[in-house]
Amino acid sequence: MNARPVSLKRRLALWLTAIVAGLGTLLLIEAYTSAHKAADRALDGQLAAASLTMAESLQWPDGQPTLEMPASALQILATQWQERVFYWLQADNGRTITRNAELPISAAMRDAASHHPVFYDADLDGVPIRLHGREIDSAGWDTQEPVQLWVGHTRRGRDLLAGELFEKSASRFAAMVLITAALLMIAVRALLAPLERLRRALRDRHPDDVEPLTLEVPREMREWVDTLNRLLADQRDRRATLLRFIADASHQLKTPLAGLQSTSELALASPDPAAWRRALNEVHDSASRTSRLAGQMLSLTRLRHLGPDQERQPLALDALLRAVVMEWADRQESRDHDLGLALTCAQPAWVAGEAWALHELLNNLIDNACRYTPHGSQITVALRDLTPDRLELSIEDDGPGVEAAARERLTRPFERGQRQDTEGSGLGLAIVDSIARRHGSPLELSAVSPHGLRLSLTLVRLAPPEADSDRHTPDPGERA
Amino acid sequence: MGLGVSPAVAEPLIVEAALDRPVFQPVLDAFSAEYPQITLDYRERSTLEADRRARDAENPPDVVISSAMPWQLALSNEGRAQALDSVEAQQWPAWAKWRNEVFGFTFEPVVMAYRLELASHMPPPTTHRDLLDLLTDYRDWLRGRVVTYSPRDSGVGYTLLQQDARYTPRIWDLVAAMGAANVDLAQDTQAMLEGLSDGRYWLGYNLLGSYAMVWAQSHPDIIVQVPNDYSLVLMRMAFVHRDAPHPQAARRFVDFLLSQRGQRILAGRTPLFSVRDDVIGPYTAQRLRDQVGDHLYPIPINATLLAFVDPLRRQAFLRRWDRELNILSE
Repeated sequence: MNARPVSLKRRLALWLTAIVAGLGTLLLIEAYTSAHKAADRALDGQLAAASLTMAESLQWPDGQPTLEMPASALQILATQWQERVFYWLQADNGRTITRNAELPISAAMRDAASHHPVFYDADLDGVPIRLHGREIDSAGWDTQEPVQLWVGHTRRGRDLLAGELFEKSASRFAAMVLITAALLMIAVRALLAPLERLRRALRDRHPDDVEPLTLEVPREMREWVDTLNRLLADQRDRRATLLRFIADASHQLKTPLAGLQSTSELALASPDPAAWRRALNEVHDSASRTSRLAGQMLSLTRLRHLGPDQERQPLALDALLRAVVMEWADRQESRDHDLGLALTCAQPAWVAGEAWALHELLNNLIDNACRYTPHGSQITVALRDLTPDRLELSIEDDGPGVEAAARERLTRPFERGQRQDTEGSGLGLAIVDSIARRHGSPLELSAVSPHGLRLSLTLVRLAPPEADSDRHTPDPGERA
Repeated sequence: MGLGVSPAVAEPLIVEAALDRPVFQPVLDAFSAEYPQITLDYRERSTLEADRRARDAENPPDVVISSAMPWQLALSNEGRAQALDSVEAQQWPAWAKWRNEVFGFTFEPVVMAYRLELASHMPPPTTHRDLLDLLTDYRDWLRGRVVTYSPRDSGVGYTLLQQDARYTPRIWDLVAAMGAANVDLAQDTQAMLEGLSDGRYWLGYNLLGSYAMVWAQSHPDIIVQVPNDYSLVLMRMAFVHRDAPHPQAARRFVDFLLSQRGQRILAGRTPLFSVRDDVIGPYTAQRLRDQVGDHLYPIPINATLLAFVDPLRRQAFLRRWDRELNILSE
């Protein structure tokens, strides 16, 4: 079952809907309450005006309050919405002077009205009404008792007015939402257009096309395109390297095979068995060189195509060095060289590494040094502390050295430092470099004065393993 | 007509009305003809009695009709009326209704009436000023022969005098002059008309034109005068009671009063005058205006009427009435 892919437009629409719904609810609640407040404000004014008009007609002819109800006051009270109107004039002691309804006025309301004019929402026989009360005091010849005048009316006009106001705000809001939604749809479409262009550009690409993308995109998307272009550039480099390696390898294999062919043809043309034997010897030598070349190509390919290694183990590098140098000291190839070992580091020197790979690395380094230096050269393998937790492994010779420009290329396959006079395959340093990189640092090449070449790499020193107190020296060549 | 109730089932309808049955009968008959399933219980009352019945919580009527406009409005203000939302009610002119609950459905001018023989002794009055002059100049002739409504005993009389006093304070001069002429006080127009025909009274003030005009048709010795300066117009007001036991029939009845059919009968066969302009007949507001000019002043149907029923204001008004009535005699 395939999950439906997420649509950005739908997501945006959902978010917007949620936001608009949330904000809209709040806004509408606010609009509703403020509409009612506005309606109340407007019509409370009428209540107050009616109350004032009545108060004007209030008289105390003999110290007793009396009121000739002014008709206009009732008309003001009724408003244009023809409300039911109520009034209640009370003497100070609560005695009714005149009224047309028994209004729900509590002692607390009466008390509040004695301090300042008040407005209340109330309920008269199930009908919601609005009440306004105030106390009226007047000077006169006799002492005059204050009176409280309460007026009120039903809420039809308020509800209609509030409804009208609310309807207006609500329709304004609805129009705003619709316009915003339309504009956002257009904006979203415009904003998503570059993504669409990028998608199309990628889809229409030929699989072999690794040229960088040239596409006008917004700043926010620039990084994407840059990343894509970096990826494409890497691909391009890798392809080039691979093609070069294949070309070089074919070339390297072609030369000895051509030699074999011509040697064997010459021998076959000769009737002399001694010539056959010479030819056979030559064929044998050439075949073993070619076989060695193929082996090295294999091991380089394997190194390059191995995944991140999980085979590293703590090993004592100083011991490994000793073993390898001792082995080389006995070999034919180094007989004419002065091979030395300088262990100036704190011992034992634990590193995390693949024993077989480091062994291969040392073999190649020493083999290389022997091969490309004249007889009698001094070759020194050294291990020293760079910092308390970094070790430097180096090999130095006092041979002719390599020019700076050529040094850069030495680690590439089939480079021989412009020397055609040796039998090396040209893969040795490429293998060394690959192994060095697998162990965390590239191979560095530098000149030695007055002449000679120095190759070095740095390794991270490990704390000595605790549980295993007797040092385990891996067997050289053994795959750990 | 599509009626919700089958004709077999009798539907009662109680109408408490301060409106003389003989005058109103053609309308009632037409209603009964249109709604034969409704059994009309028409109870003729005085205005104050009709008001009392409307407040009876035990046995509320279905429809209340009264010319005591302030009381009708007060009943509505107390929430005893229910709003109608029929087409007739919605389209009824705004000046003739309140809250879509109370509807003024007649247009009755308030008039003066005098005996024909009065004209042989003095110039007959055509305006309020004429009346005052007459009462001043011929006080001895008219002593005991003048009649008007008792504002204390009649809701209509009280309303008319209050409205008169709102237009001009000089009405009190007239009251004083009538008091000096030992004015007789009646409870209804019928009593005044009978007194005029008997010869007991020569002059009546503030009679309901609707009754007086019908009376004058059969009593040629009675002259009806619509005052030429201003003439109050009283409107008979009807509403459906909030607690009407038969609300459907009640709403039908009021709708009928407001309908063109009901109003046409009002205009053609009663002297109550139709309010609607789309009705033609001898008794329409429009025709009355054409005849007497534009000095007809309908008593406005709005909250100001509520002031008239305020007990304190009524008390003060009646106190003044008593005082003015006797002011010249002392």
